Amino acid sequence: MSGPLPAPEFDAQNYARPNQNWTCGHAGEGKACRLGPDAKGRCRATAECKPALETKPGETKGRWRCTRPGEACESGPLPDGSCGRPIARCSPEPTLRVWRGRATLAVIAVSFGLLLVTLGNPPWRNRFISPGELSKVHSGDAFAMLATTNHLSQGCGACHVAGNSGPNGMVTAALRAEPGMLELVKLATARPAEPTVIDESCLKCHPTRNFHQPNAPAMSCAFCHAEHQGAGLAATTDANCNFCHGSAGKLAAAGGFQGSAAAVIHHFADDHPQFRFITEPWPDRDTLKFNHELHLTRATIPKLPGGTRLDCTFCHQPDAAGAFMKPVVFEKNCRVCHALQFDPETPQLTLPHGSADFVSAFLRSLPKQYLNLATNPAAADAFVSQKLAALRTQFGSGEDLERRIFFSSATLGPETQMGTLKGATRAIFPGCAYCHEVKPTAAGAPQIFRPVLPERWLTRAKFNHAKHAGMACTQCHDAVHSQSTADVLLPGREVCTVCHSPHGGVADACAECHTYHRPK
Amino acid sequence: MNRFRRQFAFGMLALVAATVGALWLHQKFGALPNHAFLTGWALLAGMFGLTIYNARKKLPFLPLGSSETWLQVHIYLGFFTTLLFLIHLNFRVPHGWFEITLAWLFGLVSGSGMVGLFFSRVLPRRLATRGGEVIFEKIAAQRHGLQIAAENLALGTEAKSLFIAEFYAQRLAAFFSGPKHFWLHLAESRRPVSTLLAGLEELRRFASEGERDKLDRLAALIRQKDGLDYHRALQLALRLWLFVHIPLTYGLLVFTGLHIVLVFGFSGGAR
Repeated sequence: MSGPLPAPEFDAQNYARPNQNWTCGHAGEGKACRLGPDAKGRCRATAECKPALETKPGETKGRWRCTRPGEACESGPLPDGSCGRPIARCSPEPTLRVWRGRATLAVIAVSFGLLLVTLGNPPWRNRFISPGELSKVHSGDAFAMLATTNHLSQGCGACHVAGNSGPNGMVTAALRAEPGMLELVKLATARPAEPTVIDESCLKCHPTRNFHQPNAPAMSCAFCHAEHQGAGLAATTDANCNFCHGSAGKLAAAGGFQGSAAAVIHHFADDHPQFRFITEPWPDRDTLKFNHELHLTRATIPKLPGGTRLDCTFCHQPDAAGAFMKPVVFEKNCRVCHALQFDPETPQLTLPHGSADFVSAFLRSLPKQYLNLATNPAAADAFVSQKLAALRTQFGSGEDLERRIFFSSATLGPETQMGTLKGATRAIFPGCAYCHEVKPTAAGAPQIFRPVLPERWLTRAKFNHAKHAGMACTQCHDAVHSQSTADVLLPGREVCTVCHSPHGGVADACAECHTYHRPK
Repeated sequence: MNRFRRQFAFGMLALVAATVGALWLHQKFGALPNHAFLTGWALLAGMFGLTIYNARKKLPFLPLGSSETWLQVHIYLGFFTTLLFLIHLNFRVPHGWFEITLAWLFGLVSGSGMVGLFFSRVLPRRLATRGGEVIFEKIAAQRHGLQIAAENLALGTEAKSLFIAEFYAQRLAAFFSGPKHFWLHLAESRRPVSTLLAGLEELRRFASEGERDKLDRLAALIRQKDGLDYHRALQLALRLWLFVHIPLTYGLLVFTGLHIVLVFGFSGGAR
């Protein structure tokens, strides 16, 4: 013993044994026995001392002597040599160490028990050890059917070798992992995006990566598509995209990129190229003649039936999802002003829209059309003759009328002013060529070119108008300054980056607009 | 600078340096494909280092450095391992029952360790300001002695004071019968003892000279008992946090073992 001796006031008779597992049951009364319980918590109390037999020389019987520590008792040992002061036995009490040890054993037992119960029951096991919800495409009945078709296991086993194994199979799979558990050098020096064992499972259903661009390099699927992240595959991060698109070398190695697609990009706000419809440029090839500035700003534009001014939302209505705009339709969006009234005296008579043949047939049936409008049957013929005579006075022959209706662009015919003739509240029809490109044909009605209105301009980018509902249309679409149909009224990158940038505070990740998958 | 302050300064310096280094390594190598595996092994090594402190305490005879040094290393390694854990998670919330359980176990072990550190830094000072040294294991015996003394004073053959006996039976018997007011003592509240002493003070109006002397002695016993309860509460708190820290450490090790099997068995080396 090299340690210091107990302090002088140390009460050796009443040692509390804090490092022992058991204490005397009488300790709480301040009467703990000197001996204390044994290591298993059994009371060892017998008597206050073990009398010693002292035999003087010449004596045969001897005399029992009290050996109680400190001071011999008054009564002394009994004649048979036993102590006359037995100690009351107690129920030893466990110390905090014992309770802590019991708590530790309980936690270990519960841990093992929980793991055994969950790992031993396959449905519970898969749910318990799954690190997160699978994506919809890799779960559910449809995937289960596909897995059967592709001769894969059901459940976790479809992708993981150890998926349908019990604890033994899991340990075996772990020991056979590549790189192995303790192959730290291999683990540390693995190249990013390098295909791994788990990718072989992906290739069972996606053998040719056929939803990727053909020039996409062979990479680990899991590099971009992290599973167990919820109902959707985890969004591809900018880091994933930058792995290739942030490296000129990798882009060159992949090949197939031209123009702005070959640009090295790190962040949308920093080095994303300007949109191609601006740089190349891509004019709107639509043959319809439409002047946004005139419709939105000029005072000559009559008010709508409700008394409101014409604005963007009258023609451009969001679709059911709110993401994109419905196509503009003549009957719904144009006819309210452009009613195709060709006879100023008879505004209720309007031309059909949609087919040059129909228009031609309609004009040839004008006597019948006027007859239908006659209110007095007795004077119907006179009414029709009067109307036709008025048309002849204004337009000449029927052929002239038809020619004017098809080919007048309001600068050729007699009606060069819109909307003010004889108190008409709506624009009088100047001629098909006012809006459409019209070409004569060798026989029959002329050819009227239908408008070509693309539903989406940037087909490879995602966009959602609903998410931009708090903004005015003109913040992005400069329609009030556009007089030509050829103007593509989409905003440039600089308009988007006002918000979609670190400075603007709105998400600017690649996946906000782009999808990696090849367009179908 | 005394020894404790010097140790604390060096330890904090080492911890800050290790933290900055770990964050720098995470920033630089966070994109490595097997980042989670590498940080996982580092984390396991840290946990192993923390766990052997308990083994070291069971082998005091081995010349492996002082327990104080081991404790300092345990504390700083604990902080660093918590940081490693967050890096291992890539600062994301885990998903799935197993991983959530594992994270909770780690959080509880770390949290209880920090609570224990807080207790070990704060409670001894508070104990030193309240009475002399009290050995935790002897508190029960001392309380028993106080109980006997109070009973003798209030109910003994020489008591002869009915209202003191009644007060003892109604208010003090329960107080002296066992440890009281654990949480209030932890919160440094003196309300229970003040209430009892105020009750005694009320009795003084009806007491004779001799009875007032008894009341004074009874008040002294109440204060001693309250002091014992205070020591017991704080010393028990100094021990009870280990009831979370140590058992859950072993639960954490069990779950960690399975975690290693699962990540290698199911990933086959993939991210």
